[in-house]
Amino acid sequence: MRLDATTVRRLLIVLLIVAWEVLPQAGLVPRLFLPPVSATVAALWGSAPEYAYHLWVTLQEVAISMLFACVGGVAAGLVIGNSVRLRQLLLPLASAGFAIPLVILYPLFTAWFGIGPESKIVFASVYGFLPTLLGTAAGVQTIDRHLVTVARSLGASRFQQITRVFLPAAIPTVLSSLRIGGALVIVGVTVAEMLTSTAGIGFLISRYRTLLDSPHVFAAILLVLAMAIAFDWLVQLIERRVAGWQRAIRTEQAPAAAYS
Amino acid sequence: MNKDVSGTIQVEGVSHTFVSNGEKTHALDNVSFEVPKNRFVSIVGPSGCGKSSLLMMLAGLQTPDEGRIICEGKKITRPDPQRIGVVFQEASLFPWLTAEKNVEFPLSLRGVKPAVRHDRAREALALVGLEGFGSRYPHELSGGMKQRVSIARGLVQDPPILMMDEPFAALDEQTRTVMGDELLRIWEQTRKTILFVTHSLGEAVYLADQVLVMSARPGRIIDRIDVDLPRPRRFEMMSTQPFMELRERIWRQIRH
Amino acid sequence: MAARYETALIRLIIIALLFGAWEFAPRADLVNARLLPPASEVFTVFFGLIQDPGFHGHLATTLQQTLTAFLIAVPVGALLGILIAENRFAGEVFKPLVFFVFSIPKSIFLPMFILAFGISFWQKVAFGVFSTIFIVMMTAFAAVASVRSDHIRVARSYGANLRQIIARVYLPSMTPVLLEAVRLAMIFNFTGILLAEMYASRAGVGNLIGTWGRGFQIPQIMAGIVTVAGLSILFNELVRWFERRCEHWRGDR
Repeated sequence: MRLDATTVRRLLIVLLIVAWEVLPQAGLVPRLFLPPVSATVAALWGSAPEYAYHLWVTLQEVAISMLFACVGGVAAGLVIGNSVRLRQLLLPLASAGFAIPLVILYPLFTAWFGIGPESKIVFASVYGFLPTLLGTAAGVQTIDRHLVTVARSLGASRFQQITRVFLPAAIPTVLSSLRIGGALVIVGVTVAEMLTSTAGIGFLISRYRTLLDSPHVFAAILLVLAMAIAFDWLVQLIERRVAGWQRAIRTEQAPAAAYS
Repeated sequence: MNKDVSGTIQVEGVSHTFVSNGEKTHALDNVSFEVPKNRFVSIVGPSGCGKSSLLMMLAGLQTPDEGRIICEGKKITRPDPQRIGVVFQEASLFPWLTAEKNVEFPLSLRGVKPAVRHDRAREALALVGLEGFGSRYPHELSGGMKQRVSIARGLVQDPPILMMDEPFAALDEQTRTVMGDELLRIWEQTRKTILFVTHSLGEAVYLADQVLVMSARPGRIIDRIDVDLPRPRRFEMMSTQPFMELRERIWRQIRH
Repeated sequence: MAARYETALIRLIIIALLFGAWEFAPRADLVNARLLPPASEVFTVFFGLIQDPGFHGHLATTLQQTLTAFLIAVPVGALLGILIAENRFAGEVFKPLVFFVFSIPKSIFLPMFILAFGISFWQKVAFGVFSTIFIVMMTAFAAVASVRSDHIRVARSYGANLRQIIARVYLPSMTPVLLEAVRLAMIFNFTGILLAEMYASRAGVGNLIGTWGRGFQIPQIMAGIVTVAGLSILFNELVRWFERRCEHWRGDR
């Protein structure tokens, strides 16, 4: 019998999970580095109310930051991507800006806005903004201008050209930029919480780290992962619903930039 | 007494120069011709002869520097899809709309009621032989089917004139032949005035009553050839003496 | 040609205006000068900083860690990526996994590296490699995909041997994409190292900026940001310049 790739991959995943339980149990990997699955789940279950409270804090910060980063990034991207002049002027600046490790801005933000939610929101918004902008602007350029001409010949007014052709054509681009930007916002908030804060999942990660309680650290990490994956699924679901046509045209593409 | 101008086009002394990247291109030079009602007229010419510019003007997307284009007795100043239906080359369907919604598109721009829109789109799709394919998206259709949808979209408002810009250029030879026959069938059935731009000489002769031959840039009409082959046209005609002679004649003109 | 210079000029003016606003706003008391010190003050600190031997020590630590992680992650990642992508079965098995790991946040695993390695040079390097290697692998997949099979077929039909195919078809096709990998890897890698330093360390630029942040030394923080931003933009533009030189034949770019 020949195994197909999917089966092998699933076996591999099962194997990894088993190894995650067995290796630390057998003392082959220090439990401090990798707590067994069972211990991690037990930690999560045992401190559920605490995790729930901090998750709620993080989610609120994520939601507000996403509003800033994604709405701002998409709007700026649509405007810049649509104008040759602005594109020539600003895109080189934006992509040079993308090269800067933005983490170093966080200490500045804590000095400016304190260690409460404000500094996290500002940081995560800045963190998600540029990639969203760059993604949207790049995508807008790939919109087929011919379709606008077609619509014009069919009698579309200027307003209809925008609402009936340009915006629907831009939706897939906007969604995939949201996917990248939103993901970065989640990372931004958690990392900021890890660095300095008094609440949130990132805060829990750091607090349990100093207590050397690795099952609790790992449990919090799992929660962040779950949050990121859930977000990704949600956007993909929307993509499939409203932009199925695009998916069928282009083959799967790697997101231009993802988490760091 | 009013002359009947329905379904007619007059192009009168059209010249045009466009500027791109600081370079002037003299695209059209004093082009004049007339298309009477119900006629099928092909336009052929070497690539870059200004066919596209001419077409953009007929579609009301550009205004000529000189001369004027008159459609049913009225000067064309902007797109008027109720008078001239336009069918573009290759993928001009909106990929996010189903075939039916694509056909409905021009109606919905005018705010026609959904029920009416729906009926008209289905009729148009049936006319082009795509009954039952209305809910498919363009990417689920073959090249030939996509062009059928484009034709249906051009016809959905029942304009007296249909203008086609190399509609079958992206299709393979066989599909192209089939689509040519289909177009003739639709034309016989609806009796539109058709202006058909192509770079295939055989296609031009096979389909049309008259072939207008354009010169290389700046585009001029250098010949008007009446095709007196009997209708209905049939595939076998392409290998007959009269057909070949017509093709020859066009080819000689275009070559130099 | 003239238009290009004009664009560059306007861009320069935009940048100058930004710096002007940064200088002028705090001086005119439009913003609190304690929170946003004028540009001149920040640059005075910056010039003091780059002459300070103590700062050189921190900078050296950061650069050593960054370079070490980079020199591990890029070749290893590229090799793994190419091997996986070249083998059809391995590709089918591993590509989705790499894709998945690539798309999950990695910064949150930082504490595990501290628990495993302690706070040390190798902990930072390991975290840097971890933050970088997946993007390198992803780009390597793209690099392999950019080699067109008909080019290989043409080369073969003219009698090219394996060595010649690698040298004449694979390398030229893959170079631009691999350069992109180098550029992205540096961004991810530098971010990873700085974060690790800010989070827990005894030395390094990240550590310094973190410490200044807790001490509200805003001119210092901003001078640190200027240093880091300058270094990353410099590297980035260097690779981009190189990319453009290699890509002249790619007409569609």
